Amino acid sequence: MEPNDRDTTSVSVRDRLWKAWLPGVAAVGALAALVAGSLRVRPTPKAAPPRAQPAGTPGPAERAAAPGTGARAAAPAQPVRGLARTYSQSAVLGGAGSPDRFLRSLTGIAVGADDHIYLLGDDEIRVCDPGGNRLRSWQATAHAGCLAVGADGRVYVGSPDRIDVYDAGGTHVTGFTAGEKDKPADVTALAVLGTDILVADASARIIRRYGPDGRPRGLIGNQNKTGGFILPNRSLDVGVDARGVVYATDTGRHQVTAWALDGSPLGKFGKFGMSAPEDFVGCCNPVNVALTPDGMVVTGEKMVARVKVYDPDGTLLAVIGPEHFDPSTTHIHLAVDSRGRILAADPVRREVKIFSLNQTLQERERP
Amino acid sequence: MNENSTRRQFIEGSCRVLGFVTIGGAAGLLTQRASANAVYQVDPFKCTSCDLCRTACVLSHSAVKAVNDFEKCGYCMLCPAYMDVLSKPDEHGIPTGKVCPQDALKRRVVGKVDAEDPNNNYYEYVVDEARCDGCGKCVKACMAPAGNASLRLEIRYSRCVECNECAIQIVCPDRAIVRVAAPGMAPAGPVR
Repeated sequence: MEPNDRDTTSVSVRDRLWKAWLPGVAAVGALAALVAGSLRVRPTPKAAPPRAQPAGTPGPAERAAAPGTGARAAAPAQPVRGLARTYSQSAVLGGAGSPDRFLRSLTGIAVGADDHIYLLGDDEIRVCDPGGNRLRSWQATAHAGCLAVGADGRVYVGSPDRIDVYDAGGTHVTGFTAGEKDKPADVTALAVLGTDILVADASARIIRRYGPDGRPRGLIGNQNKTGGFILPNRSLDVGVDARGVVYATDTGRHQVTAWALDGSPLGKFGKFGMSAPEDFVGCCNPVNVALTPDGMVVTGEKMVARVKVYDPDGTLLAVIGPEHFDPSTTHIHLAVDSRGRILAADPVRREVKIFSLNQTLQERERP
Repeated sequence: MNENSTRRQFIEGSCRVLGFVTIGGAAGLLTQRASANAVYQVDPFKCTSCDLCRTACVLSHSAVKAVNDFEKCGYCMLCPAYMDVLSKPDEHGIPTGKVCPQDALKRRVVGKVDAEDPNNNYYEYVVDEARCDGCGKCVKACMAPAGNASLRLEIRYSRCVECNECAIQIVCPDRAIVRVAAPGMAPAGPVR
């Protein structure tokens, strides 16, 4: 081969190779562009636009104390002074570190004969002596959410649309479906007086009264303008005293209402308020109610988790403050024993705190 | 390969094929990205309504809006997300201040109306999205235990400009902005 020919061939080969690689180079370029494009382009955050503040809007300091922001301005940080009664915590059942702590849930509490404490949680019923020592336990129906104990020792357990009855030893005696065929009940609380079983039905927003055989005996709570309670949080609690006065929570109206067993209204007390301790805070309170042996009304509140004691006319007697309960709890299940001790079950901490009456105002002022 | 083809011709042809395949692949990838059916959305279980959705979105009026889940809403008369419960009460004891700085949460009585006692009424709460700037104050106020947690923040697809990377996602301290399959579409590829 001649040198000239070689050169020509050499040039030709380079040229041909260059031409052949052109698509390749273009492809690599396209890939590079693709990769560059896929790199995250971080948009520059714009400055916050100025916010129009309507007239009368509270300032930042006030807003910092708004509900849900962590600050609980309405909570009485100090014990409310001048009240007729004071309580102090005397015992805690369950809770963190306790071997008897419920694992998943604590949904109900009741006090039976001999001040035995009945607890419902983890789909199990536990019976404890007044000191909190477990005596016996048995399995409850699945999704059981509330319980009550009769004077005869029978245990009534409510699940969403059903009531089951156990004898004192835990043997299932009977059961019945609550509600109507096309309107199943949403049972959120139970109370028992003699042969009357009072079933709080949050679905129908009324209290259903049944006999021991499950036959309906009447309705309570529908003799008002709205034909039932106003329940924004879909929770209705009920208690009954020895005279047959039924107390129920009307959370949307921020009231405790009293009714006769025949359904006629007897009275009510309570109103919304975020500062006065006798008022009920938030959207829907009180969420729980119980009655003391001397006829006083015990209420449980959420948002500012606290327990209060009123006389039947609505005069505030005592406040058990939010320092005792988990701030995120939406219920404080209540029961009162024959000695007037208040048993408050915190479902978030899964513990029961027992509060004993210290002294009354008269005792305090006695020289 | 026919008998006349040389090694050079083979290399040349191979490079051409490789190039076209690569270009085709790149084009396919770009097309796939352009038609990706995943969208940004707020995970309500992670969101803490920190207010960054309002300030971080590239839009002047954030694509994040509060929405009310009527199934969960209690239709409260005293809605803690609507009225500032700590504000000065009127003569009936009802707080006069509102939680929303933009006055975007509106309410109306539904069902039977009792003009005498507002406590007997049920109220439906609707977010005026033209006013809502996604600050999340109502969402925070509605959280349990104060409320039923029926309000939540949502990225509205009609407003979201689908940035290559969501500016809110970058700053969200709760990692609450996630990629989800757009409603009515098949699940997208990897979900971040």
